[in-house]
Amino acid sequence: MSYVGTSQRPHDWAARTDGSTLFAADLRLPALHAAVLRSPHPYADIVALDTSRAERMPGVVAVITAADFAPDAVYIHRGAPLSDRPPLARGTVRHVGQEVAAVAAETYVQAVAALAAIRVGYRPRTAPLTLAEATAPGARRLHERTTAEPNVSVLFQTEWGDVATGRARASAAVEGRFVYPSVSHACMETNTTLARWNQADSTVELWTSTQAPWFIGKEVSQLLGLEHDQVIFREIATGGGFGSKSKASEHEVLAAALSRKANRPVLLSLTREEELGANKPRHRFETWLRTSVDKDGLVRLYESDIRVDNGSYNHMGPSVMRVGAITLGSMYRPDGALVEARLIDTATQPGGQFRGYGTPQVSLAAESQLDELADRLGLDPLEMRLRNVNREYATTLCGYDVTTARLADCLDAVRTELDWDRRRADPRPDRGVGVAAGSHGSGAYAYDLANRSDAAIDVFDDGRVRVRYGGSDAGTGQSTILAQIAADELGVDLADVEVLSMDSERTPFELGAWSSRGTHMTGSSVGKAASEVAERLRDLARAKLGTQDVVLRDGQAVGADDAVALGDLVRLSDDAVDGMLSHETIYLLEGTEPLAPGKSTANLSPTYAYAAHGAYVEVDRRTGAVELLDYVAAHDVGRAINPTAVEGQIAGGAVMGIGAALGEELVREGGRIVNTSYLHYAMPRSADVPSVRPVIVNAHDPAGPYGAKSVGEMSIIPPGAALANAVHDAVGVRIRELPLTPDKVITALAEKEGRRRRHRIWRRPDRWWIALLRWLYPLGLHHLLHRWGTKLGHGVGSGVGDPESVTSISAPDDLPVILKAAAEGAQVIGGGSDALVERRREASPSTVLISTRSVMTLRGVTWPDDGSLRIGAALTLTELAEATRERIPAIADAVDSIASAQIRNVATVAGNLLQEKRCWFFRSGFPCYKRNGVTSPCYAVMGDHRFQHAVIDGHRCQAVTPSDLATVFTALDARVELSTSNGHRTVPIGEFFTGPGETALRPDEVVVEIVIPAAACKRRSAFRKLNLYTGDFATASAVISAEIDASGTWRDARIALGAIAPVPWRAVEAEEWLRGRTAPTAAQLRKVLDRELDREAHPLPGNGWKLDAVAGLAEHVLESVTS
Amino acid sequence: MQRLKINGEQVAVEVRGAESLAAVLRERVGLTGTKIACERGECGACTVLVDGRATMSCIEPAALVTGEVETIEGLAEEIRDLREEFADRGAFQCGFCTPGQLVRATALLRAEAARSGLDPEVVRHQMSGNICRCTGYQAIVAAVVEVAERRAGGAA
Ligand code: FES
Ligand code: FES
Repeated sequence: MSYVGTSQRPHDWAARTDGSTLFAADLRLPALHAAVLRSPHPYADIVALDTSRAERMPGVVAVITAADFAPDAVYIHRGAPLSDRPPLARGTVRHVGQEVAAVAAETYVQAVAALAAIRVGYRPRTAPLTLAEATAPGARRLHERTTAEPNVSVLFQTEWGDVATGRARASAAVEGRFVYPSVSHACMETNTTLARWNQADSTVELWTSTQAPWFIGKEVSQLLGLEHDQVIFREIATGGGFGSKSKASEHEVLAAALSRKANRPVLLSLTREEELGANKPRHRFETWLRTSVDKDGLVRLYESDIRVDNGSYNHMGPSVMRVGAITLGSMYRPDGALVEARLIDTATQPGGQFRGYGTPQVSLAAESQLDELADRLGLDPLEMRLRNVNREYATTLCGYDVTTARLADCLDAVRTELDWDRRRADPRPDRGVGVAAGSHGSGAYAYDLANRSDAAIDVFDDGRVRVRYGGSDAGTGQSTILAQIAADELGVDLADVEVLSMDSERTPFELGAWSSRGTHMTGSSVGKAASEVAERLRDLARAKLGTQDVVLRDGQAVGADDAVALGDLVRLSDDAVDGMLSHETIYLLEGTEPLAPGKSTANLSPTYAYAAHGAYVEVDRRTGAVELLDYVAAHDVGRAINPTAVEGQIAGGAVMGIGAALGEELVREGGRIVNTSYLHYAMPRSADVPSVRPVIVNAHDPAGPYGAKSVGEMSIIPPGAALANAVHDAVGVRIRELPLTPDKVITALAEKEGRRRRHRIWRRPDRWWIALLRWLYPLGLHHLLHRWGTKLGHGVGSGVGDPESVTSISAPDDLPVILKAAAEGAQVIGGGSDALVERRREASPSTVLISTRSVMTLRGVTWPDDGSLRIGAALTLTELAEATRERIPAIADAVDSIASAQIRNVATVAGNLLQEKRCWFFRSGFPCYKRNGVTSPCYAVMGDHRFQHAVIDGHRCQAVTPSDLATVFTALDARVELSTSNGHRTVPIGEFFTGPGETALRPDEVVVEIVIPAAACKRRSAFRKLNLYTGDFATASAVISAEIDASGTWRDARIALGAIAPVPWRAVEAEEWLRGRTAPTAAQLRKVLDRELDREAHPLPGNGWKLDAVAGLAEHVLESVTS
Repeated sequence: MQRLKINGEQVAVEVRGAESLAAVLRERVGLTGTKIACERGECGACTVLVDGRATMSCIEPAALVTGEVETIEGLAEEIRDLREEFADRGAFQCGFCTPGQLVRATALLRAEAARSGLDPEVVRHQMSGNICRCTGYQAIVAAVVEVAERRAGGAA
């Protein structure tokens, strides 16, 4: 049996699917829990730091600050003089979220409470937060750097090839500036370390979520003043890495230092909020590029000016920038390339290493421009690339010695699989195809010893085999392919091969899984070790069987007419110890060179992988939404050792790249990340990527182990440009900044079509006050309120819930009990899915919670004879959808679009209506006007308000009511029935909502029922919303409810628009226009609605596009109602 | 002490205030197959069944749970076919989201509507509350659809 080249289940599949695989946070050691104190300022001097009060807090065992490390302790990372980051802030903080101190306590809640007792005095400094601010003349410098320019940490200038020739041969050129934003790895397992200090031998054991134990050990040991081998790794599962876990961040050393100080095991597990808000994301690149081609479409010259946002410390920035720039010298065959790149310090969290490592960012520019030029020359984009592909066994401008290069095959695969020619010619408007290519090495010689990998094989006397390697499989399938290789070399059943990884006492030297080196380096070392052991076993068998002709198969050494089991051979071996024959080997890669400073070319990798991705999209011109219809990712991976695993890497990386292309982006305000939850970080969900199809262009590369090249990083490189190119093909607008969110699409379309909205605020005295405030914000008002006003506020909850702060939580089955509790001040909740999360941000949340979920009388849904619909307040959303799907599908459609099936199973109707306001500043704990009090700013005015905030009636607060049901019920003239322990009242829905997420409900009142009157039940209604991912809140939504008679005449109509104003907004003028009209068209409605919106709206500078989007949604909805 | 029925067994556990079901399962009962990845009800890693309905256990107050709780540990045997299909198709990589995916899919597969197989689009939509950062979802959906079809075929 040969396993290499065949699909095999992950070697530990059973444990990974039955819940028994342990991740670091699953270990049940009697550990202390750690929490980290982080800087609230982007740039400040620390003038005082006092932990004494925290040390005396209940449960606290250890507190550490910079003083617990050597005075010059810094992470090495790329090495001096680039090393600049201390393990805990020393004297200065340079980004919001920088680690200042850490606490270990008996419980996590105690540790968090102790953080609040640490006194830190900060003297804030002006912080350069963006590339423009950091490079402005006279900008405040974050560090003393070696370049002359302010905040330029590294300047890389080089000239590859023959620039003059390239210029001379070129006949066409395009130039432009492309932005690839900062995105998060968002691994499902947050960064977690369990550290156990062993006093007896001064060692520390780490169970840590990592891709590369060796690197972590190197940093942790030197920061703690230990020898490398005093930091001992134990095997533990890692829940995704994508680069982030390949170098030390902070949790590893902080857990270790706390454990040493406490002399107890310590668990440090970042929260999702920390993971998104303070970890090291992809570097944001602003790439200015000029691509020149000749008349045949051959690339002749690249000229570039690349600006990389380093964040506040070097971390991996220097090499990420370098690798990004190399794209221009490696991808095609230009005559020359002029590279100028700057790594620029900003007071934001440092960028880290992320799958693709600079290449996706620069590829976005290069691959977009190739399409622009193809357009100019009248060439098919696929053909354009085919003309430019690298030759096999040639050297590229940047010094890569390419072996096999099957990009052309990948491009052909895209043509066939995506049905490129037919879809490209498809006359259907607003659909388009796009292609982009990319290339990536298989492991870069980026560090000392990166050309070396060690591995060990044990053969046991019962015939079992064990592979030992010091790396870590964070989900790439590396351990499985290593087992496949060993099984083949030794002729044993795959089920008899086990794999031990990570454990630094039991595995040999290995740098780990990064830079797509797993397959090549460890594949080679394990293959070498296994084949060497195999030869030993064959020798033993030759002696035993008396024949030279021995092969290993089926767990035996087989001779001409006799066989002996491997286990028996182990017993025969003189070297076997305790029934185990072990062999360790070193694999040294030849022919690659390290990247040296001052040298601009190097053959970094043994082989280079290629890929072409094709995207097929539909762009909704009305809303700006880009819908992915089909996606093909064709990869030249050499020979796939485990095709299913390779396809998994392709599909997974492609979807991650699609996410960054269509929605993901870390948004900052004042240097602080705003979208620190999955709710606000728009990652693709299953329904957003209906068809992503990996294609393996399988072809042996003799330079790779078993013919294999890399795959893991490659797949994330092309999606950005592939989608931007597809959008251009669909609607003719070129968007140069990712993600391709609806705002950018609509804005580009409006510009192209010359559309503009006018709101004439000067004619509307009721808006003058707000207009004045908005005008004053950038002139100092924001600063004043933020810096000083917030100090007067009533505070913001930490975001960490203390379950024990709730003294009573219950769900009685009797309504009067709930009404009584409400009267006595209890907080009434439904399913709790919003309330229980939101209370973590309240300064003083209520301590008594009472849920309506068990009150059967509130859980009914009835259609009485009068034709109305009565909906119990505690009905779950799932139940509501089931009950209304036939008769009022608008309700069911709205429900289906809310959150997730799991949430809909518990969330109640009343809970949905009463949700907290929608605003990512408010929900993420910014001390804003609504959260913290009147002296605080509304962060949306100056911050990113493109998606979530009001365009109509925004006041001091720009938030909106998030409930989709509220919008639907508004169009259905619902009545809200409210009870108290001694009364009842009915409030029309139009009066129920009084502000963003604010209602007329009095503290002692409980929503008991929603009634949809008969007339509304009879109308035809439809709902539609625009959001950034499946289950997201509405960016805008529209409902039309219409009574249309047999002749097609509209007798009555309601138009309710959601997420554009503090409360659901009725377009009364358009409704009036619809009444009495026969067969109104979408275009007619649009005109009327636009007029009304223009008159009523007062958008912020960045969200006026929502008016277009919501009017577009209304057009769609009109069509559904009449269809 | 609160009595909970977990994977068919009655257990008495201490529940503190508004503590989540996920925390109680992991810390008190030792069932760490239920993962926590956001603790805000936004990712599905903590999905368990309560009376057969998929629920985010990280925001479900344990004190309010009266129904029968089923976790990955309890379901593993019932869904052996699905687990194998996941393994064969590459429907997990790191495996962190996997217990949640499998538990969510179990509810789908048990539902009346699955008797005649499941439509991929329904699966995609119904499973959109379960984030997977590794696989890109294609294999997960395919595995669930395949198992539904096989089970439907077997029943017919
Ligand atoms: S951990 Fe429960 S939904 Fe994310
Ligand atoms: S398998 Fe890693 S998150 Fe899904």
